[in-house]
Amino acid sequence: MASVQPSSPPLPSGERVGVRGAYHPDIKPRPRAGLEPLLRRLLGPDYRLGFLFVAPIVVLVLALVAYPFCYAVYLSMTRKYVGMPPVWVGLENYIRLTYDGFFQRAVVNSFTFTFASVAIKTVLGMGMALVLTSKIRFRSFWTGVLLIPWVAPTVVSALNFLWIYDYSLGVLNYLLVHVFGVLSHGVGWLSEPGTAMASVIGVNVWRGFPFFGISFLAGMKAIPGELYEAAAVDGATVLQRFRYVTLPGIRNIVMIVLLLSTIWTFNDFAIIYILTKGGPGGATMVLPVLTYEIAFGAQRLGEAIAVALYMLPALAFVIIVLSNYMRKGRTR
Amino acid sequence: MIVRKGRSTVQIERTQSALSYAILITFLLFVVFPFYWMIVTSFKGETQMRSVVSMFWPSPFVAENYEHLLNKTEFVSWFKNSVIVSVSSTFLATAVGTLGAYALARLKFLGRAFMASTVLITYLVPPSILFIPLYAQIRNLGMADSLTGLIAAYPSFTVPFVTWLLMGYFESIPVELEESAMIDGATRFGAFRRVILPLAAPGLLASALYAFTQAWNEFLYALVFITNVRLRTLPVGLSTFITGDVYGWGYLMAGAVLTTLPVIAAYIYLQKYMVEGLTAGSVKG
Repeated sequence: MASVQPSSPPLPSGERVGVRGAYHPDIKPRPRAGLEPLLRRLLGPDYRLGFLFVAPIVVLVLALVAYPFCYAVYLSMTRKYVGMPPVWVGLENYIRLTYDGFFQRAVVNSFTFTFASVAIKTVLGMGMALVLTSKIRFRSFWTGVLLIPWVAPTVVSALNFLWIYDYSLGVLNYLLVHVFGVLSHGVGWLSEPGTAMASVIGVNVWRGFPFFGISFLAGMKAIPGELYEAAAVDGATVLQRFRYVTLPGIRNIVMIVLLLSTIWTFNDFAIIYILTKGGPGGATMVLPVLTYEIAFGAQRLGEAIAVALYMLPALAFVIIVLSNYMRKGRTR
Repeated sequence: MIVRKGRSTVQIERTQSALSYAILITFLLFVVFPFYWMIVTSFKGETQMRSVVSMFWPSPFVAENYEHLLNKTEFVSWFKNSVIVSVSSTFLATAVGTLGAYALARLKFLGRAFMASTVLITYLVPPSILFIPLYAQIRNLGMADSLTGLIAAYPSFTVPFVTWLLMGYFESIPVELEESAMIDGATRFGAFRRVILPLAAPGLLASALYAFTQAWNEFLYALVFITNVRLRTLPVGLSTFITGDVYGWGYLMAGAVLTTLPVIAAYIYLQKYMVEGLTAGSVKG
């Protein structure tokens, strides 16, 4: 590369500046202070603009995520009541929670809620994507309509379902009893322990499956049509084409969406808070709602954060695996 | 290649498309019904609600729920609060996110890869583990119970999301465009402003809309940070309408309609960009 500055110090490998990529054709002849080339070598050719542009993000991430996170870890090891100074207690909160029956139940509920929701969303999302790739008219219009639950405010959706599930005047009981005649009398969908969990899962599924569908659809569209033609020529059935062409083609997207949704669902607060507040009798109590209740109901902040952070190792694992998938998807 | 379709192939295709439409209609009913029900309820009068007559259509059509909502509740202030908070945090997130995403996607400097990973990880950290310490921090800064507190806190999720989305956009713009602009004498910044930004406009629009939607829909922080009734945002305000009274459902659903309207309107208008943005930027695998 002719544009490499003549006065810059000799580069041992010849790779640091220029040679490998023409990634900074902006080098112009400029007075050669000794410092600038050195800084460019140490901090990268675009360090000035780069640092300037990234600085706001660094500040925000430190102030709004890193610091609060560290503070949370610290608080979880204290006994802290609202308005009082924290008292260091080490791992006491975590140990006590481990043997707390109500907390154990919330952990089980959180996993039930998450796995059931994610599983159903995967199936429905796959169905949605397959329907939208088949030969139908006005496809992009239907795609848009089916994505609406994902865009609408979660709280609005939760309130809609609270009204739909209502025992005496809710439309679900009306449909099942008076229109279809499936049931002889209404069900207290959210007030009976047997149906409450399924009911809140239903709302999470309703809101979340379009995201699965639209992502799977994007993956399917990226599969080259020749693969399907080749499979058809070889006599593959519809199912075989799905199994050996579609599924391998969208594997990465499926992994990303599953993990992403696992994190979101596990930490879903609004739906359960609005529909049941964890009731009846703790039947739908999940960790985020329990965190909120202990923090702002019982005012025990240290213990509340311990509830929130209890699953941190698992969460960290999922986040690391997921971020690797997402980066891989980008740099393909 | 010309393939002559036999009778059976045509039949199979017909069955398949009938099946497709059947499944599609089931999905549509499932998705649309709650919205339909919300709208119908919002136009029903109190007597009709109590008597279970004409369940699926308002008879008579009344506007009393909307009148009650606008005149006798704090709904209008909540709407204003939501607009203020969402618009400010959208501008903040888009400005910060655009600059950062460009740097992380294009520029070479020390710590770039590390920051790119940090942004992604930050995007994945759920609010449910941050809301208590953030609340403590906002309160220490004297911003508890104010819209400023929310505007200050919302970048914790909007900025990483916008940055991640736009990084994908910038990476998809051919680097040669910038290089040729710079060969023609533009500076790095000039090339960014005159060449890259216009090309990334659809991406900017999509990510701004997503930031707006996220802020508009946010519930947990707004619930925790704000205690003053007049300073609530729409989602929190609406959730306080749950009274158990029959009549409450009428104006609650009216509020739900008006809260959904802005995001859905924006979405319908810009659907193409938003769907593309979501699938091109946030999850591309």
